[in-house]
Amino acid sequence: MQLRIERRMVPHIPWGLLLSVLAVSGLGIYNLASASRAQASPVWTSQAIYLGVSLLIGMVVCLVDYRVLHRMALPIYIANILALIALRFIGHKAKGAESWFVLGPIRVQPAEFMKIGVLLMLAKVYHDDFKPGDGSYGLKRLVKPVAVVMVPFVLVLVQPDLGTALMIFLSSLTVILFGKVRWYLVAVMMAGILAGAFIIWNDYVRDVPEPRTTIVRHMLKPHQSKRISGWLDPESDLRGSGYHAAQSKIAVGSGGMSGKGWKEGTQTGLSFLPEQHTDFIFSVWAEEQGFVLCVLLLVLYGLIFTFGLGVGFNARDRFGAFTAVGVVAMLFWQVFENIGMVIGLLPVTGITLPLLSYGGSSLVSVMLSIGLLVNISMRRHMF
Amino acid sequence: MTPPTLSETTPGRDLKRRFVWVGLAMIAGMVALAVQLYRLQITQGEEYAAKSVANFVKEVRLRADRGLIKDRRGTILVDSRPSFDAFITPAFCTNCADEVLPRLGELLGWDEPTRKKMEDQIKAARRTAPFQPLPVRIDLSRDEYDRINARRDMLDGVEVVPVPHRNYRTGSVLAHVLGYMNEITTEELEKLKSEGAYYALGDYIGRRGLERYFESTLRGTDGVRKEVVNARGRVLEEFSDKLGNDAVVPSRPGNNLVLSIDMRLQEEAERAFPGAAGAVVAVDVKTGLIRAVVSRPGFDPNLLTGRITPSQMASLAKDPLQPMINRISADHFSPGSTFKVITALAAYKSGLFRPETVVTCPGGYRLGARLWRCHKDSGHGPVNGKTALQYSCDTWFYKVADTIGLDPISEMGKALGLGAPTGIGVLAEVPGIMPSSEYHNKASPGGYTKGMALNSAIGQGDDNVTPLQMAMVYAAIANGGTLYKPQLVERVEGLDGEVLQQFNPQVVNTIEIPEAHRKAVVEGLFATAMIPGGTAYRAMVQSGLQGISVAGKTGTAQVATLGAVRLKTHQMDFFQRDHAWFAGFAPAEDPELAVVVINEHGGHGGADAAPTAMAVMKKYFDLKKQDAANPPPRQNTPYVSTLPDAPSVNDVLTRTAVAGGDDAVAD
Repeated sequence: MQLRIERRMVPHIPWGLLLSVLAVSGLGIYNLASASRAQASPVWTSQAIYLGVSLLIGMVVCLVDYRVLHRMALPIYIANILALIALRFIGHKAKGAESWFVLGPIRVQPAEFMKIGVLLMLAKVYHDDFKPGDGSYGLKRLVKPVAVVMVPFVLVLVQPDLGTALMIFLSSLTVILFGKVRWYLVAVMMAGILAGAFIIWNDYVRDVPEPRTTIVRHMLKPHQSKRISGWLDPESDLRGSGYHAAQSKIAVGSGGMSGKGWKEGTQTGLSFLPEQHTDFIFSVWAEEQGFVLCVLLLVLYGLIFTFGLGVGFNARDRFGAFTAVGVVAMLFWQVFENIGMVIGLLPVTGITLPLLSYGGSSLVSVMLSIGLLVNISMRRHMF
Repeated sequence: MTPPTLSETTPGRDLKRRFVWVGLAMIAGMVALAVQLYRLQITQGEEYAAKSVANFVKEVRLRADRGLIKDRRGTILVDSRPSFDAFITPAFCTNCADEVLPRLGELLGWDEPTRKKMEDQIKAARRTAPFQPLPVRIDLSRDEYDRINARRDMLDGVEVVPVPHRNYRTGSVLAHVLGYMNEITTEELEKLKSEGAYYALGDYIGRRGLERYFESTLRGTDGVRKEVVNARGRVLEEFSDKLGNDAVVPSRPGNNLVLSIDMRLQEEAERAFPGAAGAVVAVDVKTGLIRAVVSRPGFDPNLLTGRITPSQMASLAKDPLQPMINRISADHFSPGSTFKVITALAAYKSGLFRPETVVTCPGGYRLGARLWRCHKDSGHGPVNGKTALQYSCDTWFYKVADTIGLDPISEMGKALGLGAPTGIGVLAEVPGIMPSSEYHNKASPGGYTKGMALNSAIGQGDDNVTPLQMAMVYAAIANGGTLYKPQLVERVEGLDGEVLQQFNPQVVNTIEIPEAHRKAVVEGLFATAMIPGGTAYRAMVQSGLQGISVAGKTGTAQVATLGAVRLKTHQMDFFQRDHAWFAGFAPAEDPELAVVVINEHGGHGGADAAPTAMAVMKKYFDLKKQDAANPPPRQNTPYVSTLPDAPSVNDVLTRTAVAGGDDAVAD
């Protein structure tokens, strides 16, 4: 096992990626200092500590040759699944979902680590499965990767943690599509998406007298169902489920071109946004910094994705390439879903914004991902 | 299975092309976010900025003080006092059910069901309106207020707020005139809003009387204070600079009413009126301004203004004397003999009767097969127009009715305002009934007959008048034929006493009454009160009126059909008894004040109504003398009542039982 960084690896450290990540992290702490001013204790200091700790963890990840991770992918995957099952029995309930282990002062959210475990396992499958001259994947060959995804997906979904399940689903889907799928399967999937849109239209949008005949709605929990209707029409129920969506749109919109100024945001300062320092952190940025700096943040995220994909592009083997795609896809979908929900494009799910939201677990899982990317990049020429 | 070799797994060109596609897709995703951001922040930025301001600016209403109601000398009859009300804001009430409510219940002496009810209410409000303060107790006593204040830090979410509450200093006196207030209904709210008046749910609005009629005058204009609040409704002083400079718009208090009532005269009328039910009206004959007005039984407007319990409300509604009805103008009665002045005027006007016209009274008048009885069975002998009024001889008036018919009498009554509302406005009114042949042809089976004219001529039959109408009739006779509109308010004053609106006398009708006719009637009324043998003479003597000549007429209006045997008053059930009337004015030679008294089921006009009127007149002239000698009183002194409770039916029954027997004076 190699637990060292050789000199020949140094030129391959992706400095652009690291700089972008550090820049976003810095903006995140600056923003948290403003977002948490209504709280009794400022959370930005603890976030800074989390950042330091997670950077260390990321560095440790760099030390281990990712080929070791390749060999360890299956055990890691199984350990994560066991942790999720254990959660059913000894987990800590928060907001109606069992998603935490409480270990003394530390609260661990296994689903965060499951995300990476799935991606590693998926990359291993695609690496091992490779035969030269292969075309796209047909139904038969897809069974294995789909099974790898479905087990943790279902486990997280029943927690219930719709948001993380969605992230596992979307990033795995990206990897599977990246691994090339037969065109008719893509067509079937498109049809599935259209069907989903129809179900939403039928269950929530269509103007019919109650009781309406619903396809899925009656199977969802009320709070999940409300999130969907709140997303579709946030103004209809301002004090209820649509409250988050409406207030967050107001916060973002009222920021205008140049924002209200750091610590000057009224939506933030007067606590109109619940969970403003976790899930809705972007609305604080948008309200106080305005459109221009929002675009800057989007550009920085774009750079992270581009550099991340660049790592995969130059990776030495398929495992590295697939891991990079999976990790970047996971970051992308989190950013896209979180900001999309804050600005009213997507329904409200409990997804944190990487590097901006307050929270140790989220930060550690992001830094693990970045560490993996750096790891893959550094070892691109090792034979 | 052997793992693939390195050369096999090195990403090929095919894989690299896919990286480019993934990268482009992600950039497209970021661009989509940027576009939506542009829409929100740039295109709709102003709209959302306005919404965010609306979010944190809370407008607090500054309630305007309601105007005062004063008597004509500036004594305050109605004002506002602070009512210390305890509220709980559910959102701020942590541990409400377990700690705060038991503690509060202990301080306020709640029993278990009350506490449970409060708990349920707050639990419900926590879901529906968590930031809306919920009243838990109104009108805390001084002790309770101090106790709550001392434990304030143990009572999260409880606050005691002084809320202006209408204070009717006269109690049940003048209740029908002043009115009361209670909560506005949703329908009224919508109606008023469409008319441009600003009210909110939970506001009080004037009901009845002056409070209703002068609602817009008394109400004033609310102001507004803007505050910065956070999402939990807490006011944050440090953010006040975000509000700009129109943060406070002060309220404008309502205007004050100055009544034509003289509270000293009012007190005398209340004190002198012996009945459990009835009315007294004293009106200035030269202006139509009302100087004193009693409607009994009254109600307590302080109670009705948001302090009445359902059981109290039920007992008010069930009371057989119907205290909520104002007997001044919203109830009508047979006028009895007080009506005879109208018959006399109609008789003289017809030219067929003159004051000297003598009719012999054998104790009744025969018309066809039926004998119309005079109240004196033995008969009055020969009577003329003057003595007919003095002795209240029915036969003379039967003769008039038989001769001229009903319609000339009806015309005279209508000219003097009977059968139509007086137009006072402030009070609810019934028009009363002044029957005519046309009326009977429509309303009575078999149509009009002469007998109806005979009944109407002595104020029985279908004749129905309100005490206020009767007062205006006597005032018109007193002033020579001008029928005024009765008024209760002299002027509207602003905050600093400046006159905003003056109410001048309003003439409703002018009646041609030849001086000879008027003189004949006044002489008859004078004789009734001032000459021995007149039905009101004894009351005049007993009142101690000196140097003032009174002209008046008593009346005893039958309520129940007379049986074969005349019962003594004290032997009759209360509701079977006659109404006792008196109507008159003074001084007879140059009248100033007209007074009408009706003592419902009181008995006889001479014994049970006339003394009240005499006392009011005496007080009026005493006060006039007194005021001429003294400087005007200090304005805005609050009224303090010295009156005893109004008599109840039982008081009246026991009193007549003791005095009963000797009151069978001729009427």
